Amino acid sequence: MSTATASGPIVALKNVTKTYQQGAIEVHALRGLDLVIEPGEFTAISGPSGSGKSTALNLIGGLDTPTGGSVQVEGHDLGALGRKALSDLRRDRIGFVFQAYNLVPVLTAAENAEMVLALQGVDDKTRRAKVTALLDQVGLQGLADRRPDELSGGQQQRVAIARAIAAQPAIVLADEPTANVDSATAEMLLDLMERLNQDLGVTFLFSTHDPRVMARAKRLINLVDGKVDSDERRDG
Amino acid sequence: MKLSRMAWRNVWRNSRRSWVTICAMSIGLLVMIEYAGLVRGYLQQMERQILEVEIGDVQIHAKGYRDDPSLFIRMSDSDAVVTALEAAGFKVSPRLLGAGLAAAADNSSGAMLLGLDPKRDAAVSKVSQMVAKGQWLDATKPGEAVIGRWLARTLELTVGGEIVVLSQAADGSTANEVYKIRGILGSVGHGIDRGGVFLTSDAFRELMSLPKGAHRIIVRIPTDMSLSQAELALKPLAAGHEVKTWKALLPVLAQMFEATQGAMTIMFLIIFVAVGIVLLNTMLMAVFERVQEIGILKALGFSPFSVLRLIFIESGIQTAISVAIGVLLSIPATWYMTEHGLEMGPEGGISLQGVALARVWYAAPSVDTLLLPIFVLLFVIFFAVLYPAVKAAVIRPVEAIRHR
Repeated sequence: MSTATASGPIVALKNVTKTYQQGAIEVHALRGLDLVIEPGEFTAISGPSGSGKSTALNLIGGLDTPTGGSVQVEGHDLGALGRKALSDLRRDRIGFVFQAYNLVPVLTAAENAEMVLALQGVDDKTRRAKVTALLDQVGLQGLADRRPDELSGGQQQRVAIARAIAAQPAIVLADEPTANVDSATAEMLLDLMERLNQDLGVTFLFSTHDPRVMARAKRLINLVDGKVDSDERRDG
Repeated sequence: MKLSRMAWRNVWRNSRRSWVTICAMSIGLLVMIEYAGLVRGYLQQMERQILEVEIGDVQIHAKGYRDDPSLFIRMSDSDAVVTALEAAGFKVSPRLLGAGLAAAADNSSGAMLLGLDPKRDAAVSKVSQMVAKGQWLDATKPGEAVIGRWLARTLELTVGGEIVVLSQAADGSTANEVYKIRGILGSVGHGIDRGGVFLTSDAFRELMSLPKGAHRIIVRIPTDMSLSQAELALKPLAAGHEVKTWKALLPVLAQMFEATQGAMTIMFLIIFVAVGIVLLNTMLMAVFERVQEIGILKALGFSPFSVLRLIFIESGIQTAISVAIGVLLSIPATWYMTEHGLEMGPEGGISLQGVALARVWYAAPSVDTLLLPIFVLLFVIFFAVLYPAVKAAVIRPVEAIRHR
């Protein structure tokens, strides 16, 4: 599995709308969002609560379906994919990092990190070698056999990052990845993700409130009321 | 990371709940294995008692004898009927029946007199094998009798003792004879236990002045023939006489026989539905407390089928442990039930339509009584797990991840 496709955007959202029903009230989370993410980007989506950041990430990750418009990942229209094809796309091409780490509590750090590889059918030996190297890369040497409840929040988030990049996805979607950790850990995690972006070319798309993430992003998209308010590129 | 390893760890993340579920399933299975064995044993005991000891498959009487069991109402052509039935492949034993008084020393008691051909009767009835003390009748020794165990106790008789039998003979004279006790029967049935006096046919004819004929012909049918087929085949062979299957002779017992099998099915359902509800509850809790986790798994690429498999493997692990424990526990329990049985009635036993019902139920385990409860348990578990498993499989990741 390659880090990104040779050509074309990884993510393309065209006039995407998302409306939720909350009781009798219709909530318009996204109101015609257009967005393109190219390979190798280190992009943050910011905006006030309710601006549609997480909704956008959920739609890109195929976790939710839009009310209108189209969401494409590597040229695949997610709306046209069935449950199984969508599962396969998430497994093979999209990595997730969640705010609350969301590691599987009964699995060790190594087992959590290798989960996607196992789902892909990668053999034990290759999997273990790859995950050992990855855990070293994210600074978790010697902690491979610890369960999540034996790791700190920062360590758990590192495992989550290792899990997200283990299968070399086209894009890693990180929803508020620094929200539950202290400043030092947040900086450490950002260093790590930045390094993975620079060294390995992993594409990251964050949704965040955190000014530290916004400051590090090479592209900052600000959403207001479900639409792009500003799109600032800081390349170079 | 194998799905089975993950499922194993999931089972033990709430070990107390898993053990409660496993215990419920194991005990449910154990009870059903024992119950199935006991019911099978009871039905076998009943069947043996009815068919092999007391009644036979079919009985033939002279018309009117059953309404008025008199010494004078008999089948005078019994020899011809017996020959015809044997030629048709049936095992038969003609019996002579009468009533009288039995006495020994200062004791006396009412007696049910039975005259039979010892060899021929042994082919249709197991009474000959139920001699507890002494020996079964010998056709060459007409001066000897075999008696029921309670009659022996009442008359204070032992093997080798003498019993006096008094009755009225068919010619109106007083029948009066002394017999040597050749054997004392074990538990056969109320009537025989209390008053049964077995004589050879020759001795009976001599005592009661009955040169020919028989009051009853007991028939055992070939194993490949149904009762109704046998009845149809026997009627023309015993023309002019009354041919009745044991079900017609003992309708209440026949119904009870069928009801017992029905009761077993109902009992199975009740116990297993209860077990199913426990498991459904457990699996629902196990799924709903991990909705968010299942959402994450799906986000990471678990297909709906993988989630379904995970839940089924988890319940499969619990089921396998339960079946192993249930079957292991059933080994000593079945041994006990087979050897010592389960007392189900008052001392002295219960008699229904003259047939002694077993006071102690003994288990008669078989492959069926072991496998049937297991298969029924697996069937119930499958349906109990299906709902939570499908629910988990089809849950939308975004809803699951937001779940609190």
